[in-house]
Amino acid sequence: MSTHSSETLVVRGACPQDCPDTCAFLYHVEDGKLVEVTGDPDHPMTRGGLCVKLKNFAEHHYNPDRLLYPMKRVGPKGSGMFERITWDEALATIKSKWTDIIAQYGTQAIMPHAYLGHQGTLNGLTAGDAFFNRLGSTVAEKTYCESGSSTAWIMTVGPTGGMDVESLAVSKYIIVWGMNMLNTNLHGWPFVLKAKAAGAKVVVIDPVRTRTAKQADWHIRIKPGTDAALALGMMNVIISENLYDHDYVEKYTLGFDQLKARAAEFPPERVSDITGIPVVDILTLAREYAGTQRSAIRQGVAVERCPGGGDAVRAITCLPALTGAWRYPGGGTIEMPIWEFPFKFDFMCRPDWIPPGTRVINELDLGAALTGAMPLDPPIKSLFVYNSNPVSQAPGASTIVEGLLREDLFMVCSELFITDTAKYADILLPATMQAEQLDIMVTWGHLYMHLNQPAIAPPGECVPNVELFRRLAKTMGFSDEHWDLDDWEMLRRSYDWDAPQMKGITLEALKDKGWMRLDVGLPGERAPHATGDFKTPSGKCEFASSLAGGGNFVVPVWRSGYEAMQPGTPVDPVPNYIPPAETTVPEGASAFPISLVSPKPHAFLNTQYANEPTQQRRQGEQIIVIHPVDAGPRSIEHGSYVRVFNERGAFEARAEVSEDVAPGLMMTNVGHWPGLNRSGTAVNSTTSTRHCNLGQAGTYSDNRVDVQRV
Amino acid sequence: MTHVVTGNCRGCRYTDCVASCPVSCFHANEVRVYINPAVCIDCSACIPACPVGAIVEEFDLPEAERHWLDINAREVERNPVLSSRMAPLPGADARRRELGF
Repeated sequence: MSTHSSETLVVRGACPQDCPDTCAFLYHVEDGKLVEVTGDPDHPMTRGGLCVKLKNFAEHHYNPDRLLYPMKRVGPKGSGMFERITWDEALATIKSKWTDIIAQYGTQAIMPHAYLGHQGTLNGLTAGDAFFNRLGSTVAEKTYCESGSSTAWIMTVGPTGGMDVESLAVSKYIIVWGMNMLNTNLHGWPFVLKAKAAGAKVVVIDPVRTRTAKQADWHIRIKPGTDAALALGMMNVIISENLYDHDYVEKYTLGFDQLKARAAEFPPERVSDITGIPVVDILTLAREYAGTQRSAIRQGVAVERCPGGGDAVRAITCLPALTGAWRYPGGGTIEMPIWEFPFKFDFMCRPDWIPPGTRVINELDLGAALTGAMPLDPPIKSLFVYNSNPVSQAPGASTIVEGLLREDLFMVCSELFITDTAKYADILLPATMQAEQLDIMVTWGHLYMHLNQPAIAPPGECVPNVELFRRLAKTMGFSDEHWDLDDWEMLRRSYDWDAPQMKGITLEALKDKGWMRLDVGLPGERAPHATGDFKTPSGKCEFASSLAGGGNFVVPVWRSGYEAMQPGTPVDPVPNYIPPAETTVPEGASAFPISLVSPKPHAFLNTQYANEPTQQRRQGEQIIVIHPVDAGPRSIEHGSYVRVFNERGAFEARAEVSEDVAPGLMMTNVGHWPGLNRSGTAVNSTTSTRHCNLGQAGTYSDNRVDVQRV
Repeated sequence: MTHVVTGNCRGCRYTDCVASCPVSCFHANEVRVYINPAVCIDCSACIPACPVGAIVEEFDLPEAERHWLDINAREVERNPVLSSRMAPLPGADARRRELGF
């Protein structure tokens, strides 16, 4: 902490959100009140600026709708009628209900539901894992996002950090594949601009002409869900025209002959039919990519959001080993560098406490699990939701709502606000916001470790998640040492501070500096796979994956550290193109003629901030972007209100008629609160609960709908 | 949604805004800078950077200043992108004092 004037206290913090940028904050506090949150001007990524989403972050802490006290439901389920109670009453109610449920149905009748509403080490994705593992609840598989990419990455290159986003500045050819960086990786973009100024070519592969696509040298419009075909088509050209790095392939890769045979199945003409990309563009892309060293691929999470998404990430991740791009700084691919951080998940999640044989339920199947569509013995009798909002963010929203309305379901929700999900709870528990809690932020987009220090006192009776689970553990009678550790001690035990990449990094140093870079090579110099050193079983980039033999799996961090009860469905050792279930169905073969993709919003972070009037003004109401050839016959004009529907559900939106989307494709965004929309629903009322071929990820972008004017 | 550079910029052109912009959305002529509304991503990093308070978020623009929306959109078509800071115009500091900053 330091003071820069007599009245203002400045405290170092970091952004809590699920975003690859994890910005370094400066909290400005006057008389115990948070007056402003700014970006640290000295941080190489943050560079003094936050983003549109965080613009009113200080005020967000004082939003009058914040949940400040424990509450119990006093009206019908979902009515939003609650009454204040004490923490003692809330905990006693939970204990009594759970004790009865456990006596009758066993501990697995209780299911937690969490995701990355907060991205901290103590309060984030894994905050409740140790508690629920100790309780013996059903293990919830948290695969909303990234899990398909994680499995694909581990199968191909192992748990390596890969390329550093800052090294994009020295790249000569940059492919941004399935990511609207200006919306969702803003602080990575200045490095792209720097490369561009030095002559690099920037290519964006995206079904939509996004803000990012408009800033690129070349936008390649691809049909959603066909990325694997394009990557295999590029390999076809690179191999058949002998543009690959023979030496690198021989020394540092496994399974080239199998990959070559697979790529041979994808000549440019076939790939053009699948992807909608002209043959000449496929040839040019492959030749330019292979012919330019210091070539980088920035992979976005969008690639995984279809049935073949896992194999698409595997195929794309094979490319830099084929061309030897990994040899150079600024070469390779960026997926998620999180694997460089030396977490001690065994302490954070305590998988040793999971009773052998415990079942796993995937969170994207929540509706089916609650409504009986998925046969379960025992049934789910209690749901504990924190850091997540499934009614808005999970596919198949209407089935989830049906499940949450069950009179015999005891639901507890820890939240900041009464969200579309929280309103169905029986007990609400108030959670702290970021300026009110201590944490080390987990980041998945760069190589800095940040300490977030509390700047103000929590309002009302809000508690951080870490304290919530301590209270629950004591309430349930758990006497393990784990529940007596304070926040600092838990942080100390959550990382291997002696790991080589932690050279110079200590909790004391972080208290002073706020953030520090891992010792894993400097920006512009880092080349982790210049001579192989992949983190796979073979130590090579595995074109033919040796992990495929074990079948499909979810990386344990997404399932409370649990290794057992993996899906295990067969996986082809070599990446292939697995067609979407809906998007590429020929016209006339589906009752629903238009594909709908639903990327992240610009001014909200998923649903967070979407209840702030200033952010609603910035984002605007729920829209769909529709091509003129689809709008015309339906009498849809720019500004018309429309109903988007399929057999799963419907939502209403305002139409924007634009050629930013291709004919037959519409775009909307996820994140608007269903309850604040015209129809009381949002896009996830229409999405399918089908899983991606790897890692059980969601397939939100494989969604056929129709649209009519209202 | 965008941000706009209003009248105070003329005669100063400090360009601190340009250094703070993550997306390089500023264009410049001899006397001032403009924001390209198609490129601005609404992050507001430029607002505190401007020594003369010339930059305003679109919906904070008073009615009497709304015309700057059109001017910014039009002028970026005529003037090149400015991606790094330039020296302020001669007399910038005097004008800044005159503007009360």
